[in-house]
Amino acid sequence: MAGRPGGAGVPPGPLGRPLSRRGLIAGGLALAGTVGLGGALAGCGAGGAGAQSRIRFWSPLTGGDGALMEEMIAAVERRAAEIDVDSTVLAWGPPYYTKLAMSSVGGRAPEVGVMHLSRLTGYAPGGLLHPFDLGMLAEFGLTEDQLNAGLRSRSTHDGEVYAIPLDSHPFIAFYDTDIADRAGLLDTDGRLREFESPEDFVAASRELAAASGDQGVAFGYVNDDSQSWRLFLTLYTQAGATIEFPPGGEPVFDPDAALRVFRFLAELLDGQSSPNNLDYFGALAGFADGRAGVLFTGEWELPYLRETQLALGAAPFPTIFEQPANYADAHAFVLPRQSEPDPERVRATHRFVALILRESLTWAQAGHIPAYLPILELPEYGELRPQVDYAVAGERVVLDPPAWFAGAGSEFHTQTTGAMSTALTGAGPEAAVEQLSGVLTAFANRQNPTEGDR
Amino acid sequence: MAAAPPVTAAAAPRPRSAAPPAAVPLWQRVRDSGWAFLLPFLLVYGAFLLWPLLYGLWLSLTDTSLVGGGGDLVGLANYAEALTDPMVWHTLGNTVYFTLISTVPLVLLALVMALLVHSGLPGQWLWRLSFFAPFLLPVATVALVWQWLFQGDFGFVNQMLAGLGSEGVGWLSDPAVAMWSIAITTVWWTVGFNFLLYLAALQSVPDHLYEAAAIDGAGAWSRLWSITLPQLRGTTGIVVVLQLLASMKVFDQIYIMTNGGPDDATTPVLLHVYDVGFTGYRIGYGAAISFLFLAIVVAVSLAQLWFTARRRAQR
Repeated sequence: MAGRPGGAGVPPGPLGRPLSRRGLIAGGLALAGTVGLGGALAGCGAGGAGAQSRIRFWSPLTGGDGALMEEMIAAVERRAAEIDVDSTVLAWGPPYYTKLAMSSVGGRAPEVGVMHLSRLTGYAPGGLLHPFDLGMLAEFGLTEDQLNAGLRSRSTHDGEVYAIPLDSHPFIAFYDTDIADRAGLLDTDGRLREFESPEDFVAASRELAAASGDQGVAFGYVNDDSQSWRLFLTLYTQAGATIEFPPGGEPVFDPDAALRVFRFLAELLDGQSSPNNLDYFGALAGFADGRAGVLFTGEWELPYLRETQLALGAAPFPTIFEQPANYADAHAFVLPRQSEPDPERVRATHRFVALILRESLTWAQAGHIPAYLPILELPEYGELRPQVDYAVAGERVVLDPPAWFAGAGSEFHTQTTGAMSTALTGAGPEAAVEQLSGVLTAFANRQNPTEGDR
Repeated sequence: MAAAPPVTAAAAPRPRSAAPPAAVPLWQRVRDSGWAFLLPFLLVYGAFLLWPLLYGLWLSLTDTSLVGGGGDLVGLANYAEALTDPMVWHTLGNTVYFTLISTVPLVLLALVMALLVHSGLPGQWLWRLSFFAPFLLPVATVALVWQWLFQGDFGFVNQMLAGLGSEGVGWLSDPAVAMWSIAITTVWWTVGFNFLLYLAALQSVPDHLYEAAAIDGAGAWSRLWSITLPQLRGTTGIVVVLQLLASMKVFDQIYIMTNGGPDDATTPVLLHVYDVGFTGYRIGYGAAISFLFLAIVVAVSLAQLWFTARRRAQR
């Protein structure tokens, strides 16, 4: 890392000599002097190659994702000598968004952060984010038409662009190619075949169970914050319905479509051929162990599964009802609110965002579908398997309904989760629809805490 | 108060120690009382306990949001909402349920373990170590270990049950069982502390009582009933009240193991406060729920105090 001011300015300690008060003061002055000098020297050194701008960057990306992000940041720093990224990784989950929001409220936020696009409605209208300067981004070679159109439409508020999407990460179906082959569910290209109806898929799951000798479909949701909602929204949208929260009104919700979804799931995950009470890691580990034919989960499990499951295939979420749809979310770059943004840093931040999108091929290794379209046309991307097999999911993504309370890691996800266990192991699909409807109404009636005076 | 006129003092110079206490001015008495030694404690106490408590009380009367909106005084509206919020009652019920099913075994088991060790089992240090060791583990470690043990599909416990030909239990996935699983984990984790308190109390029961009883021909059981247990009464009071308070503020292991699931069957009231305040940003409402909960905790503590005082008075 180049030129961290004061890094080498630590004076030798007064070893073997009792520290007097006067000595301490003198030492302190010397230290301050050294640091000042070091800072000045570092400034001079950097000045030769153009002034350096330190960009603080927050992300919730840990594990494999985090390592790839660090790689991309390093590539950007090599390309643009004036950018020095100070990256902070915070644990993913609800607390991340609390921290990001509070730093914005305090006006001392990092220059740039990663956030899920589904959370934007809880941030941008409340003034927690600065909009991007599109002219400045274009100066650095990034124009809007280079980004996935479906995600772009969710990045704006009041005509301003508040987020630059990096990827979409859909909820998909992984399958065990050996088991699927034995069950006769692969097409001539060796990929999972299409399904004609809910009944067709249920029948296929029974064949998968017979072929695996254990589970047909594995889906882990028990005690998980979001898995139930992801699966529900995928199927509910496939059934042609939407959920909307018009300001100050009752929520738009189609109970008939929801009932179809829960009935289908109760039949599919019957507790016999496919378990109905798996938790997230139980489903993941069981599938990795070759005990289930199909696993419903996010593509973000690709790095883990590629290491553990040797006969791995991946497909967009099968179209069970009338229209194709995939629940997804998207990582996006945002500019958290600062009370006194520094113009130099703002400029460097825009350049950072424009440059890092060009490194998206690295990001695609983790399984995510780049939002930056030029990457998808690269021959190198075409060789990434099984990523290309589900890349089409990026064109049919369904994000959470735009509402201040919805989105990744929100209480909304947690609250809607209960309906799934009601449908599968509790009072049944009808009760689940009622429960979900109650939750939606309760959220619609909540007072938006991001509104009002600051 | 500063009554002693300086003229008198000057007119009759006496050794200071001989002066009547009333003659020393208040400020001097305050100065000499050593309050400065308390200052570090008072500062920390004020800054990290008293001030947050008062600030929380103020917050609970406003509609303050963590993300800046609101902040207006709303009177008792938050409290009224909390009292009619079914989730508050449900989670309070969960907390009480957990407190009951964890406190009873945590006190009784600790007592039994201490009696067994004290009765002179060989290898005392090994027993003491193994009973107390889990208490030293961080909560995250304990929760993760038990999460895997309780894993429904291939967890150790269900595998053992399967080996015995029994069907598996949804330890953390069945709403009727999940709280018991949390209680089992908690007992395993923290029983060592109560065990230690009991063991210390047992070791301080005077030997001459047992000698006298033995001379009178008392057997092992009557010595236990008539000497050991009555002598442990004070310790039991302490253990019970400490345990009640510890169980009522349960949060960590549940947050990690089930996050309140399945279907809110294990959500304690503090997790609800956390959800409302930090995930849902409604810090004012969250504060109101915590003050309601505080009232209950204070009531339990007062009841315990009253109980102990009455028992002492009876003796």
